[in-house]
Amino acid sequence: MIRLIKISKSFDGGRSYAVKELSLDVAEGKTLVLLGSSGCGKTTTLKMINRLIEPTSGTIEVDGQDVTSQDPVLLRRKIGYVFQEIGLFPHMTIEQNVAIVPKLLGWDKNRRRVRAHEFLELMGLDPGIFADRYQDELSGGQQQRVGVARALAADPDYLLMDEPFGALDALTRDTLQQELLSLKGRLRKTIIFVTHDILEAITLGDEIAILHNGNLEQIGTKEEVLSSPKTEFVAELFSKPAKQLAVFKEMR
Amino acid sequence: MAVETFVDFVSVRLPQLWLRTGEHLILTGVSTGAAIMLGIPLGVLASRVARLRGFLLGAIGILQTIPSLAMLAILLALTGKIGAVPAIIALALYALLPIVRNTVTGIQGVSSAALEAARGLGMTNHQQLWQVKIPLALPFIVAGIRTAAVTGVGIATLSAFIGAGGLGQFINRGLALASNSLILLGAIPAALLALVVDFSIGAVGWGLEPRRHRHLPQRLRILFRTSAFLLPFFIGVAGAIAYMSGAAVTPVSRPGSTIADQDRGAKVVIGSKNFTEQLILGELMAQLIEGRTGLSVVRRFNLGGTMICHGAIVRAEIDIYPEYTGTALTAILKREALLDPDETFKVVARAYRKQFGIEWLQSFGFNNTYAITVRKEDARLHGWERISDLTESAANLRAGFTSEFAERPDGYPGLRKVYGFRFGEVRDFDPTLMYEALAKGEVDVICAFATDGRITAYKLKPLSDDRGFFPPYYAAPVVREEVLKAHPEIRDALTPLLGLLDDLTMQGLNYEVDGKKRSPRHIARGFLKSHNLLHGD
Repeated sequence: MIRLIKISKSFDGGRSYAVKELSLDVAEGKTLVLLGSSGCGKTTTLKMINRLIEPTSGTIEVDGQDVTSQDPVLLRRKIGYVFQEIGLFPHMTIEQNVAIVPKLLGWDKNRRRVRAHEFLELMGLDPGIFADRYQDELSGGQQQRVGVARALAADPDYLLMDEPFGALDALTRDTLQQELLSLKGRLRKTIIFVTHDILEAITLGDEIAILHNGNLEQIGTKEEVLSSPKTEFVAELFSKPAKQLAVFKEMR
Repeated sequence: MAVETFVDFVSVRLPQLWLRTGEHLILTGVSTGAAIMLGIPLGVLASRVARLRGFLLGAIGILQTIPSLAMLAILLALTGKIGAVPAIIALALYALLPIVRNTVTGIQGVSSAALEAARGLGMTNHQQLWQVKIPLALPFIVAGIRTAAVTGVGIATLSAFIGAGGLGQFINRGLALASNSLILLGAIPAALLALVVDFSIGAVGWGLEPRRHRHLPQRLRILFRTSAFLLPFFIGVAGAIAYMSGAAVTPVSRPGSTIADQDRGAKVVIGSKNFTEQLILGELMAQLIEGRTGLSVVRRFNLGGTMICHGAIVRAEIDIYPEYTGTALTAILKREALLDPDETFKVVARAYRKQFGIEWLQSFGFNNTYAITVRKEDARLHGWERISDLTESAANLRAGFTSEFAERPDGYPGLRKVYGFRFGEVRDFDPTLMYEALAKGEVDVICAFATDGRITAYKLKPLSDDRGFFPPYYAAPVVREEVLKAHPEIRDALTPLLGLLDDLTMQGLNYEVDGKKRSPRHIARGFLKSHNLLHGD
């Protein structure tokens, strides 16, 4: 379980806030989507959870433990992270990339190799073909599959995903979303997923938290936020795709 | 020169060539190694601390702009040593810039995506550095090391000026003796060495990047990688073997070696400046001492100028070298020039004993004064006989002087005052090139040395010093008193030579070397034998 209690973050000494007094819980095995446009504080929130950014005030608990009481390095190793820019290491093979956290944890070579192959396969990449390749020999979609495999390789209980499919084309994005859905069911990870894509949020989220200018507008299941928006902003936000959908239906 | 004679020329010098190549590799290798060990950490540090970066790169950049010879001279003064130590420090300082800069550039070039991933996945700072930053910066770092090493091979040729040996020694002597063969004997191996060094570092870089050899079959990959890593090691060992084999075969009296000559048992070290006459005088003294005493001689010839020789003898790094009375009086003791030769000698000898503990032996017999010299045909054409005759045309004349002459009070500055004219243009030359420049018409006036063989060889005309400006420059051995006390036989060995060389004799010997391209060693031997000063052999 991940719990944020009155988290605030200011980058300019308190004149303005990227995140303001944000409180939310993510239950074990559930997926929470942080939804909002760029600059709303969603990535900042995500990075505060594994201490890539330190909050100005407030408390974050992972497994009931305050993260500030933990060594950030050890904390990060037990939380999987998928980056928006993917960030595969160009000098390492795909296998080495996937096995990086197990390596940091001191696993032996064989075990790392077996694990890397297992997760490449899980992500639909044949290790026989891909294990010895380098990142620039893969397509964007393949690279992000590796990114997800890398985040999962050490079998963390938590997975933080920062707009992982944002840079991919619509088709690839759709495929990967479906795969993530099925993976979710099988692996039972607690996931926080950041996106600005409303359909993606509805597809993947058990719960959706809508952020606007650093404030939490609403948090709830997708049914809740769709049927009873608490603020005008939320209502506005979901009305657009609904209208688009309607237009699309008329055209057919 | 015909091919066979060049082959002979090289084969005779083969042991020396090995020795110098070995020295050259050691100079370059040690200095580059030191620069790597210092430069990479500095680069890493500079890439982390922005404030340090500007300062560090600026400071190292300034080092780079110091001309090589000036750098060597500065380090000579700072370390108080001639030979390998200041040379290696200078080379290492030069090597620093490409290594530090490339390390910084390489690390800063690592993509922010990779860096964020490294942090976000739970790497410590140390792991980020060693597993991500350095491997990704590696191609840059290797390129920097390559630049540094190849440049180092080039600059190392200059370290012969301060007696550090290496292939530059051939080049220096070639310049001093106007011998193209000698210059090539140094320059060609140096160029080849640069290629070898470049290739071997490139090979290590190749071995360090797994991606570049992953398509090789497993066995070949292991073989190639191992050889790539061992290559620099082998070259280092080959250099050491070359050095030792060369040092073993070359006679004890091999010219000015350095790295080897740290111990000084019953040895006497003879120095000389970097021109023909000094080399001949050095050889004459060396061969007399070798032939007439039980001492062995170390030759540290071709030191780059008066101040370097003087510095070396004061610091007891050489024991003997030939000096000129006028030079000692004005350039070293900084006194007004005197016109009387005997008085000059007395003043100089007294001051040297008091200030430096160095004794002036009797003069060799000739006065190698400066001679303002022009082409014979010009002299005939314009009726130039005396320096004063130049007064009217001086403003239209181009002068070529040695750098020393251009600055010394008994040189051009004094000449200007006494004769009241200045030349239209003054260019600095290496002593050897100066004569050629005059002969080829690139300059019109030079400051020749009165005993120089090239005056005859190039059909030049020394003008008479009608206002008596140039003080006497009688040449004599200067010897450390301590050495004379410990080995009085040195004085006995040299005495028969003193007074034997008058102006014409010296000019003749110089001409044998400069005009006829004979080696100073050979000429010295012939002269000593013809005067029955060497027994046996």
